[in-house]
This record gives sequence, C-alpha cells and structure tokens, in this order.
Amino acid sequence: MSEPTVLRKDQLEISLHNEKKLIKEGAIKDDNPLDLSDPFRELCAACRKGDLKVCQEKISEGVNINARDPYDYTPLILASLCGHYEVAQLLLESGALCERDTFQGERCLYNALNDRIRNLLLEYDYSKSTDPIQPLAAHISSLITRDHPVTSDIVVTAEDESLYLHKFILSARSPYFRTKLAAAPDTITWKLPNTIPPQAFAAAIKYLYFGEASRELRSGPGTGFTESEVFTGIDRIAKHLEIDTLVDSILDSGDRRLARQRRTAELTKGRDQLEEWFRSNVLHNKLVVETSKAGDVKWDRNNAIFADVLLQADELLGDTDEYSNGALQPGDCADTGSKEQRQKSVLFPCHRAMLLRSEFFHTMFSSQFREAHLEDHLHIINVDCSPDVLEIILMFLYTERADFPLDVAVDVLFAADMLFIEKLKTKAAVVISTLGSGNMSQAEAAKTRGTTEEDDLDIYAIIRAAWMTRVQRLEEFAARYLAYRLEAHIDSPEFAQLIQESASRIQGRQETDSIELLDDIRFYLGERFRLRFTDAGLEEMMEEEAEQHATGAITNDGSIEEVIHGIETIDLTEKGVEQTSQRGQDHDHDIRNLNGEIVGDEFDQDSMNYDILMDKLDQILESLDLEA
Amino acid sequence: MAMRARQKIRAPRRGLNTNKNDDFETNWEGLSTSLKKIHTKDASNLSFEQLYRNAYNIVLMMRGEELYERVKMLEQGWLDTEVQKRVTVAVSSVLLQAMDQAEIQDQENERRDNGERFLNVLKEAWEDHQVSMGMITDVLMYMDRVVSADHKKPSIYVTSMALFRDSVLQSVVRADADSTVADVLKSTVLFMIQLERSGQMINRLLIRHCIYMLEGLYETITEEESSKLYLTMFEPAFLETSRVFYKAEGRRLLETGDAATFCKAASDRIAEERARCTSTLSPLSEPKIKDVLDKELIGSNIAEVINLEGTGVKNMLDNDRTDVLRNVYVLSARVDSKKTPLTAAVQKRIVEMGDEINKSAIAAAQAQPTRSAEKTAGSGKKSAEKPVNLQTMSAIKWVDDVLGLKTKFDKIWEESFRSDPTMQSAITTSFSEFINSNTRSSEYLSLFFDENLKKGIKGKTDAEIDALLDNGITLLRYVKDKDLFEAYYKKHLSRRLLMKRSVSMDAERQMISKMKMEVGNQFTQRLESMFKDMTVSEDLTANYKEHIRQAGDPDQKPVDLEINVLTSTMWPMEAMSTIKGDEVQLPCVFPKEIDNLKQSFEQFYLSKHNGRKLSWQASMGTADIRATFHRSSGKVQRHELNVSTYAMVILLLFNDVPEGESLTYEEIQARTRIPDHDLIRNLQSLAVAPKTRVLKKDPMSKDVKPTDRFVFNNDFQSPFMKVRIGVVSGSANKVENQDQRKETEKRMNDERGGSIEAAVVRIMKQRKTLVHSKLMSEVLSQLSARFVPDVNMIKRRIESLIDREYLERVGEDPPTYGYVA
Repeated sequence: MSEPTVLRKDQLEISLHNEKKLIKEGAIKDDNPLDLSDPFRELCAACRKGDLKVCQEKISEGVNINARDPYDYTPLILASLCGHYEVAQLLLESGALCERDTFQGERCLYNALNDRIRNLLLEYDYSKSTDPIQPLAAHISSLITRDHPVTSDIVVTAEDESLYLHKFILSARSPYFRTKLAAAPDTITWKLPNTIPPQAFAAAIKYLYFGEASRELRSGPGTGFTESEVFTGIDRIAKHLEIDTLVDSILDSGDRRLARQRRTAELTKGRDQLEEWFRSNVLHNKLVVETSKAGDVKWDRNNAIFADVLLQADELLGDTDEYSNGALQPGDCADTGSKEQRQKSVLFPCHRAMLLRSEFFHTMFSSQFREAHLEDHLHIINVDCSPDVLEIILMFLYTERADFPLDVAVDVLFAADMLFIEKLKTKAAVVISTLGSGNMSQAEAAKTRGTTEEDDLDIYAIIRAAWMTRVQRLEEFAARYLAYRLEAHIDSPEFAQLIQESASRIQGRQETDSIELLDDIRFYLGERFRLRFTDAGLEEMMEEEAEQHATGAITNDGSIEEVIHGIETIDLTEKGVEQTSQRGQDHDHDIRNLNGEIVGDEFDQDSMNYDILMDKLDQILESLDLEA
Repeated sequence: MAMRARQKIRAPRRGLNTNKNDDFETNWEGLSTSLKKIHTKDASNLSFEQLYRNAYNIVLMMRGEELYERVKMLEQGWLDTEVQKRVTVAVSSVLLQAMDQAEIQDQENERRDNGERFLNVLKEAWEDHQVSMGMITDVLMYMDRVVSADHKKPSIYVTSMALFRDSVLQSVVRADADSTVADVLKSTVLFMIQLERSGQMINRLLIRHCIYMLEGLYETITEEESSKLYLTMFEPAFLETSRVFYKAEGRRLLETGDAATFCKAASDRIAEERARCTSTLSPLSEPKIKDVLDKELIGSNIAEVINLEGTGVKNMLDNDRTDVLRNVYVLSARVDSKKTPLTAAVQKRIVEMGDEINKSAIAAAQAQPTRSAEKTAGSGKKSAEKPVNLQTMSAIKWVDDVLGLKTKFDKIWEESFRSDPTMQSAITTSFSEFINSNTRSSEYLSLFFDENLKKGIKGKTDAEIDALLDNGITLLRYVKDKDLFEAYYKKHLSRRLLMKRSVSMDAERQMISKMKMEVGNQFTQRLESMFKDMTVSEDLTANYKEHIRQAGDPDQKPVDLEINVLTSTMWPMEAMSTIKGDEVQLPCVFPKEIDNLKQSFEQFYLSKHNGRKLSWQASMGTADIRATFHRSSGKVQRHELNVSTYAMVILLLFNDVPEGESLTYEEIQARTRIPDHDLIRNLQSLAVAPKTRVLKKDPMSKDVKPTDRFVFNNDFQSPFMKVRIGVVSGSANKVENQDQRKETEKRMNDERGGSIEAAVVRIMKQRKTLVHSKLMSEVLSQLSARFVPDVNMIKRRIESLIDREYLERVGEDPPTYGYVA
C-alpha cells in the first residue's frame, strides 16, 4: 500500500477486498476495528459536538480512538468533518492515525472542513511516527549504546563482545532474568555460554530494549556463524529467556504493515511489562519518613530492585499559604522546623537510566557534581514537588503514561517545567485545556449563553502559570476561556490587572503596541459570536470586527477615526453600557430584559452583546493606557 | 479541585508580587560561593540539585535577569583578578622583545622554551575556564532557558567565553607595553611554525590546543562561523608570514637551477603544510594555505621551472623522465587548470621535433633528386631491393618518424599527464600544426599506405596489419586537407588496382572501412566505387569472352582482352591521362587487330548499356605480346614481353617494317598519334633502359629526340622467358615533382571551388537569407572535415554565385545575402 504510484479505482477496490480477507483470516489486524461499545459511542458524539472535555476523559479511559462506528466513521474523521480543530489536534496527539494512501486516511483528509484542519492532519502523517510509546522505546534502545553517563550495572560477555546492560530492564522484560536476578541480585557480570552465537544474543537484547527487529543478523563470512546458525541461536535464546515473540517479529520484518502492527503490539506489551515492574518494585518500595530524618536513610548500592538513586519529595504541611511556601523551599529548614507539625517525605528508589529522559537529570548525572559520583550508599536527591506529583512524573518517565486529574495538573506543569520534561509539560497543558474547558464547547456556549456557572479553576492563576512555564497552548486556552466567559470577568479589577501584566510582559520583550492576551481574547470573542450571526449580518460584522481589531491594534495612536468610531459604538449601545455597568456581572440578564422591549430578536441581542463586550475591552485599554 | 488549583498557583505569584530581597540574597549567596568553588576546582562535594534549585527559585521570583548579570560580574571578576594575572606573568620579556623581530637566531632556544611555557599556561587557563563554565552552565540551565529565550540574550556560556576573550586574551601584557596576550600568542605560534619549517621539532599538540581555543572564541556574541578569533586574528598573520616565507623559498629553490629538485621540494612543502593544518593548526586554513603555496611557490615560479635551461621540461621530454614530468604536471594543474606554461613548453617541443622530422624528410628528398629519378627509371620493379627511390623512402621515413613521436608523447601523456584532456588537445594541436606545416604530408601519408599495401604487409599477421593501418589513420586525423589526401590516395589506389600491385584486397578493404570510420562516408564513397568498378569489370571480361566464343569469331589469332571499365567521375582520370588543358588530343591509332577487337568490344558493351560512351585509356593498359627475335646466328629466340599498351602499339609497328629498316620518332608519332609525353617515355623504356632494350636507338643517348631513329633489336637478350618492360615513371607511385605538384594543386583548387559553391548553395537554400559572417562560419564548419578553405576563395566563390544569379545581395549593413530560387 505504500507504493508511490496512484492506484486505479479497480485496483484500489481489489486491494481493499484483499485486505478485508486478510483481516477476516486473522493474518493482519484491522487498523480501524468496528466498535459498538457505549464509551466509544460517547466519544464519537463528543467529537461531533466538539466537546473537548468528554473527549479527553474518554481517551484517558482507554477507548480505542482508531476504531470506527457502524457507519465507518472514526473519531478523527468526525472531528475534522465537523470542523473541531482542537478535538482533531487532541486525537492526533493521542495517537489517532491519519495515514495518506489508506482508505480511512484519505477519507479524513477529503472530509476536513477547512484547510486549517487539513494541514493539521497532513502534519501528522504516519511518517512522523505518531505512536505515543515511540519516545520511550527510542530512549530505552539508546541505553544500549549510551556510554555517558554510565548507567549500566551488569556486563554480559559473549566471546569477545561485551554488552553493558541494565538489570532492571532485563528483569522487567524477561521472566528468565527476573528469576535469575532475584536469586542473585548483586551479579555484575554474566557470561554467555559460547554455544549461542553472540549475534543471536545481541538480537535478543536489542529486542528486550525495544529495538526494532531486523533481518540483518550480522551473519555470514567473517563472523564465524552462518545465518541459519544465528537463527537457531535466536530461537534457542528466545526460549531460554522466555521471550516467545522474538522469532516471529524477526520473521515478520519483511512485511511492512505486518511488522508495524506487530511492533505496536510489542511496544504496548513491553510498556505494560515495564509498568507492572515499576508498580511492583519502585512504587512498592517507596519509603515514607519524616523529612528531618530523610537524610539518614541509607540504601545499599546492591539492592533487590537495582535502584541506583533515591528521589525525595516532601509532603505539604497543611493547607495554609505559609506552609505551602515552606514546602516549595525545603532548603529553608528553619522555617519548616519552627512549625510543630512533622513533615513527611517520600523516598522513591529509582534508576538513573530512566531518569535521564529528563534533561535536568541528564545534566545532573553527566556533570561533575556530587550527584554524579558513585558512592556506597545511594544519593538522595530532593525533587521540589509533592510526592503525588513525583509519582506521576516517575510513571511518565518509566512508562510514558500520563493520566492524571485536573487538580494536580498545574503542579505537574510546574514540576515538568523545572525538570525539563517537555512532553509531560505538553501533556499537562492538554489536560488543563481539555478537562478545564468545562462548558466551553461551541455547541454548549450557544445554549448556555450568559449563565454564571461556578468555575472549577482559577483562570488567572492558569494564565500566569502559562506565562511562567512558556506554554503557548495554555495561553491560548486561557484567552479562549476568558472570551467565552467575558461577561463574568470583564469588570473585575483582577482582569484589568491581568491585561496590564500581559502588556508589561510584551513591552519587556520588545516595543510593540499590541497586547497578546487582548488580541487572543478578541479573536475568540469573534469566534464565539460569529457562529450565530445571520448570513446577511455576518459580513457586516466581520468588517466591523476587522475594524475593531484595527483600532485595537493602534490604540495608542489615538487617531481621529478611532475616536469617532468609538463614539458611534458607544452611542449605539449607550443604554446597555449604563445598565451593565450599574448591575455588574448580571448584564446579560438585563439585556434580555431590554431585548423584549427594544429589539425582540436574538441575533440583534447577540450582536449588541458583542459590541458591548468589545467596547468594554477598549475602555479597559484606555484606562490602562492612561495609567501606563 | 478549584481550591487546589488556586492554592498551588499562589506560590510563584508571591515571588512576583513581593520582592523578597533577602530570599534572593540567600539564594545568591549560596550560589556565588559555590560558583567560586567550581573555579577553584573544589566542586566535587557541591550538590547539583541544590545549586539548580537556588537558580530556579531566583528565576521563579522573576529575577532571572538580575541573576544573569550577577553571574556575569562574578565571572568578570574572577577572570580579571586570577586568570589574567596567571597568564600575563607567564609572558617573559624574551617573548615580548622578540615579537617585532622576525628571526633572532641566538635567542632561538630561549624564546622557544619561554614560548612553550606561555602556551602551556594559556592552554590550562582556557581549559579550566571551559570546564568551569560547563559546570556553571549546567547549574544555570533553567535561567538560560528562561532569560535567554525571553530577552534574546546569549546564553551564559557564550557570554562568559566572550568575557574570557576580553579579559584574558585582549588584556595588555605589561602596563607599559601595548601588546596584548593575543599578540604574544600569535607571534609565539608563528615563531614555532617558522621553527618547524626550518626542520626542527616542535610541540604540535600544544599549539593545536591553543588553536582550539582561538577556534572556540568569536569576535561577536552571535558566534557566526566567520567571526572566529582564529579566522579574524590569527589566520591572516599566518598566511602573511607563509606568503613571505614561500616567496623566499621559491627563489631559493629556483637558484639551485634544477627543475626536478624544485618539483620534489614543492611537493614536499605541500604535503607538509597540509599535515600542519590537520595536526597543528586548523583544517579551516587548509584551502587558504594551499592558495598561498599555489600562488607564491608554484604559480610565480612554475613557468620559469618549466623553461629552465638544461633541466626544464624540454630536457625531461627528451630523456623520457616521466616521473619528473608527472610532478611538473601535478604542480601546474594546481595553479592553472589550463596549465599554460606546461602546454606551451610541450607544444613548443613537439613542433620543434616535428620540424626536425620535416626538415630531414625534405633534405633526404632533395639530396639526390636527379640521381634517384634516374635510378628509378626502368628499375621500378626492383625498388624493393634497392633504396632506389629516396624520395619515397624519405616520405615513408617521415611517417615512421612522426608515428614514433606520437607514440612517445602518448606514453608521456598517459603516464605523466594523467590522461588530462587539456594536455591531449594541446598535443593534438601541435602535432596537427607541424604535420600541416609540411605541405606534402598528405602525399607522404598516402605513399606510406601505398608502400605498405604494396609490399610492407607481406608476411605480417592480421593484428600487425591492423596496428600499422591504425597508426596511419591516427596521422590522417591530424591532416587538415583531407581532400588532398583523398586525391593522392585515389591516384595511388587506381594504380594499385589497375596494375594489380596490391598484396591483399582484404587489407585494402580494411583500410577503406577504417577511413570511413575516421573521416566519414562521403570521403570513401569514390574509393569504394573504384573497387566496385573492378569487380564489375571482371564479370564483364568473362561475359565478353563467352560472347566471342559463342559468336565463333573467325579471327585466327584471337587476342585475349581483359578490360576494366571505369566510371570516369570516380577515377582520377586527370592523373591517368596526360591531356592538359583544352588541347585536343586525337585518339591513338591502334593496329588493325587491336582496332577490330576494340570495335567488337564496343559493340558488345554498348549493346548492353545503351547511351554510354567508352573512351579508351591506352596509357593505363598493359599487353602481353609474344616477340620473336631472329638472331644473327640464325637462331630464333622467343620472349614474352609484358609492355604497356602504347609500347605494344609501337612494337607492332615494327611488324610491318622490313628487317634492318628503321623508323624515326616522327614517323612513329605520325602513325600512332601517341601523345609526345607518353611516346617519349615508352620509347625510353623500350630503347634506353639497359635490360629491356627491345629497340635500338640511333644515336644512342639517354634522351629521346624527334630526330632519333629506332630499329628492332633482334639481339635482345634476357635470361627470362617473360620480360616485363615498365614505363619510365608514372608506373610506380612516387613523390611528385614540382610541376606535378602545381598541377595537383590547381586541380585541387578547382575541386575545392566546386565544394565551396555547393556548400554555399546548400546553406542558402535552407536559410534563404543569411548574414555574411554567419555564412562564412557555416561554410567553414561544413567543409572543415575535408579541408580548410581559404577565406578569400570563399569570397570569390560567393561573388561568382551572385554573378550567376544564384544569390543576391539583400542588405549592406551588415552585408546579407539572399537565395535566388
């Protein structure tokens, strides 16, 4: 299916038919299996509606996002067909496939509602390898050859070749090694019986380290072994180490599609093995001690779970501001010591090899500082976050899994930023921007216009966090969030302050007059209202909006045109402005009252609301400009 | 949930809102003492995590920039106080003094020791700085990420490297001197290189480390490749000293006066500089120092080297010193893709040697022109045994010599010039130059083929013949006037065919096909049709014999006729007949028997081919006649005489002449109407040549005069039954004399005129209108395969075509012609 030539229609049909037959026979797996379960149906419905929150929930539940419904729609097709950019992005990031030259892939591309979505889909073509586990696999494979910093703890010698390996990976991936190493955990060398060709062993090890199985077995003249010898060697070693699928995956490596499917399966399996091992060893062995005594914990270098470093996370003391501050700066011992409560710390025994995935740890272990020196007892390294968050981070580093609730997402974001784990940062941003989106989906917004629902997150805090951790996506999310609830925020002093902060941020960077946050809010505001303008009014509104943007962009100019325009808009909605400013946050309600008297048309009401909000933004700007 | 989110977010905000200075100061204090420890190599007990957290907290307080500035200050302070002192102390006064003087022999060792010490100190300082800054950058990782990204500042590492450059390298060595550390470094390294060039061992690794430093530092903070200190500061000086050095070196080597030595030394220097760039300096300089070498050492001297009296290229070529020539070639190729001096020298030598060959050929030909002519007369048959025809011999010798020269230069080209196409074309040009400077080259070449096809290839294997012919063809390639060659070849070939002098028809055909490949189809067309005529004639003869037999001719004494019917346009008739100009020549009167035969054949032939005209070429034929000699002793001696047709006609006259009677020259001429020229020659061979004296002449002299009388010589003696009587000159192919040459040239010019007109008309018919200059160039290119036309001749031809209204003048500026349909 990967031939570059374009197939004729009949050829295409034949190949589709053959594919179906193969799937029926069980030779290959269907990329898009039929799924009639309720959760999948809900996911599909959410994709139609553009409900980010439900989508994220379903994805974390583990619904197969590449399945199809009875009408052969996959969630990705639905999302792109209905024009929900954010949903499509979320699906693609979570591993939804949109592969060119496949039936479903091309369908997805042709169905895309607009070019923006289409381009997004093309960006995620299969060649970019969207398999979510791939980064983990790549890291582990690289461990075989990585020689700095040293992380290996066992040397396996076969004839003249030596492999520097990691006991915990061997133990996690092969039942054989697990029992062997459990019996003698302090083994540091292991000699291969010379009946097995070293090439065969190398292939097996590569397999255990998530490497791609390859047919190149380095056999032939000069190596002393023929291909068949190596092959039987692999067969034997696979039985020996109890890794039954190795031989199959080497045999299958000829067929690209089959190999890919097998590899995906292998990776998932390997990940699950690692996860199981991680849970039963690392998490199982975590220690809870008082913070003041944490330094006394001594772990011998030779331990049953082959850990070579201890990570310490301190629990928070209570809920008050002072305590949380203390917790964030544990170096400040006097402060915490003065409190009566005893602070607890959690110690996780970890493996440097996995921690290296964080640039922070990588630099740490490569440097010449204390942490990099090997001593008899394991180093205890403080990580400045709560034990829960550290556990999430470790889970991510070991297994690539990052499922966590919204309430710790901000913490994870900060910790990931501190430890330089970009993927986890993105993941945290995704969690916040999807689960936090609440009733923000466009369909919802249409119905619940003006309702004042209790927000479940502090958007001001979120936007500041976004600035600090430099996550563009989160900034956009916050702007969208604010735009959809602008009625509730526009009059609060906190909002004005936020605008000012945004302005100062940008001015600190370079001398431009636009305020990023405000521009974003305007953009999403336009998006929110544009949906419900009539066809006739739409163009007008677009023009007006464009003008508004223009005026917004040159606010400091104070040009005459702008002033006149401003007066006009104020005149138009004078009443509304007065009303809303008097009654504060409930202005929508007032307008509805007015509506009955003055206009009597929903659309007019919307456009009036829009004008009012835009006008208010200008007012805020004006007042801030005066101050500035 | 909401509570949690709020509560967690507050912490950084507090840092933002209330600038807790003491927090910043505590964090900074911890950090700065640790950074100092790093510099004093006391870092093994520092905790990365703690330092990182200090920096991280400061950045979260939104005071990253302040941190950045403080670190910068700290580094500045450290470099200014500690490092700079360490380095400047190492600069000894010897180094400072020596800076200006290029070479001071007596202080050499001292300067060298001091220099190495200084370089060592500098190298250590640099490496320490690098290591420390690496560690500090690690610790400040988060700051770098935030501050550098947000504020477009260079990373702290880059900044600190710039600090090292400013505070250490560009610091003044002594308070009173104005030279900086970098200056001392530069002069020291250059001094070391100077030492190495003069053959001493130096510490390459040490210099390499210092160069690494210069390569790692940049003039600007943006670190563009081109602003490396190495490139801006060190390299220009290095190249300048190299330039001076190699200029002197080149002069010194030239003074030794031996080209081979020069080339050897130059090659060694090139290798040496290349090695220096990889092991001591930077690979970046390799192309540049190569340029310096090429320009100073080779480029400005190579021409002189090539032309060195006694040892230059001339000498190398003469002595076949291929290895030295290769050196010369390699050096030349470095500086000039055209290798002008070398090609000029080689070309000059080729032309010189070629001219020598030409001269010796002419000298040999003119040595005994008269004698050779005499000798050939009557002994053409035996010329194989005797060096009778010196001119022919010299022609062949000329070809052999040229071939020898060619082989020699081919070998040199392959072995020394690496089969370079430029050199090949240069060699080809010079060969063609001297070959064409010999006006007789076409003739000589054709003679060479003629000689070989007649005798040379006897007893040779096919492969040898092939090689021989190939050699000749190679020379043909150089000959510009191919039409002239064709004319000679045709002439020689026609004789070979008609006289049946060819050794092997296979070889002849092979030759034709080779020429076809080399020069083209058109060239060999006529030659091939000559062969065709020969085979057709064979059939014709057989058919005629059959015809006679059937007709039951009553003639008692049948005359065997073997006839060659030749297509007049294909054969060189001019060369065969002696008709000159428009002079009307009555046909020869044949004896009756022959005339009958002639008429019978004409009848036979014309009945087969209607509308053709046969003209008899008596001068080309031969006849076997049986002659009876009545000896005075009464005996009768019979001989079979193989004579030319004219000779037969003359001899048959004597059948009707009574015994003892004589015929005068005039009588003979009147009766036979044989042209004077042919008659004289035939009578010469019959009456003058000593071995074939069938007639007696009175008076006995070498020349035939109109008043001479001839009588049949009954006393003719010959040891052989069959006697072949050749005709003086004309029968054997040999070098033409001056008159003949003029003749040939004239013919050639006529023919060329035709070709030119044809070409002009061809072109104009296609183009309709054409500018004069373009027409000229097209004509030249069309004809160049055959000959190089004379431009004036083309002009004249165009004029003539205009007169005859083939063409017309269309425009004057530029002159343009139009085709008249």
